[in-house]
Amino acid sequence: MTRIALIVACLLVPAAAGAQQAPPPHDSLRGAVRTVDPRARTVAVTTGVGMALRVVQLRVPTELRVSAGGAALPLTALQPGDIVRVSFGWRPAGLVAYTIERVGHMTDGAGRSP
Amino acid sequence: MKRAALTWAVGLALAAVGACRRPQPGDPLPGLSAAERDRFTQGRAVFDSTFTPATGLGPLFNADGCKECHETPVSGGTGDEVERHATAFHPGGPGRPCDELAAEGGPVFQKRVTPALHAALNIDSEPVSAHATAIAARTTPVILGFGLLDAVPDSVILSYADPDDRNGDGISGRPNRFFDGRLGRFGRKALVPTLREFNEGALSAEMGITSPAVPNEETVGGRPLPAGTDPAPDPELSQQATDQLDAFVRLLAPPAAQRLTSEARRGREAFARVGCPGCHVPALRTGDSPIAALRHREVAAYTDLLLHDMGPQLADICLGLATASEFRTEPLMGVRLKSEFLHDARAKTLEQAIELHAGEAAGPRDRFLALPAGDRAALIAFLKTL
Repeated sequence: MTRIALIVACLLVPAAAGAQQAPPPHDSLRGAVRTVDPRARTVAVTTGVGMALRVVQLRVPTELRVSAGGAALPLTALQPGDIVRVSFGWRPAGLVAYTIERVGHMTDGAGRSP
Repeated sequence: MKRAALTWAVGLALAAVGACRRPQPGDPLPGLSAAERDRFTQGRAVFDSTFTPATGLGPLFNADGCKECHETPVSGGTGDEVERHATAFHPGGPGRPCDELAAEGGPVFQKRVTPALHAALNIDSEPVSAHATAIAARTTPVILGFGLLDAVPDSVILSYADPDDRNGDGISGRPNRFFDGRLGRFGRKALVPTLREFNEGALSAEMGITSPAVPNEETVGGRPLPAGTDPAPDPELSQQATDQLDAFVRLLAPPAAQRLTSEARRGREAFARVGCPGCHVPALRTGDSPIAALRHREVAAYTDLLLHDMGPQLADICLGLATASEFRTEPLMGVRLKSEFLHDARAKTLEQAIELHAGEAAGPRDRFLALPAGDRAALIAFLKTL
């Protein structure tokens, strides 16, 4: 649940982080793919806490491959409802995915730990 | 000496009465440690507090404190507020059929705004997304005993699931899941996996109170808040206060069932005979817990915490995996504290609520309606002991 906190921290402190030449703020989340736009290379992921839901918009760099069970997949392999674990960082244009791992699908569940 | 012995005897008798006293609504679970009782008491103060814009309320909200809704007959009980949820359901489409409209302020569309937000946007409530396919009314659940529901292992809930109705009884409960894949159990559509998240999410979605777990405010229909409308620094509730609030809700005792009259005993038999326990499972057993009072206990919840198709007449919003007509079996513990029934208060009596059951519950409903009037009354009398 600190994930959302960190997302916000990412949004609020980029200037300070950049000024100190520190690594860009980053964090991870786990949620369900809401939309995928392979052409624009964006993914929207639904996450949240209880009934306070949020959608996190991520840009996906061209070189990034989605992983699933150790295999590399193209972005087009992601489908709405896929459960993904994403690490990401802040850039001036928004949140950028560092890694995207497909860990299951909402209809199948994906274990207890978030 | 005689006086001392008498004092001891009276003291022991009072202690015995106290030990046997059944928890009243609003009491903590029996058997808490002194430290747990302290946390319960501290948490009650948070639960009962009233927030203002200066202390974090809003800018969008449904209530100015937990107790504004969970007030009858005690803190943690029910209330007469009805809130508004909306989602978009597109079965058969290319993507996931349910869109919770989270990018547009959903699924909870708050009905009130602070004066500052009203002044900035000239709105009295959060506008519901034009993409919504259904708007649902939601009443306040009785949350007494929810700590015990939280302590029920997933495996127990899943043991009741029969999504393909392999036993052919017409009842096919299935689990809902949160967006990260965990099993859901709280909320009318069983979306929320844990009580902790249920509480922290409510702070944000119901009161507009940010906390360390949810430090960012709700948007207004997906748009950021206008500058100057959210004066309180985030998080508006500290981790300590959030923990205390969680402890209060977690440690609230379930309402003790009342003693059964002979009529209620007949009603309990009728309840079983018509098939209500197919979904309203009388008791669930908790698993391990760091809190002894929650560990390996039986909770007379009268629910399986699974989704069931209740038919088109009750259908409203989708949520997670739940379709419009699927609802989690409502726990019947504490149902005697309510004066309106079903998720949207459309039933004014328990008998009406049963009559409105359909879908998977059509069989038990029809068997209930076919009972002699005396047996129907007995069944209702039984429900009023819960």
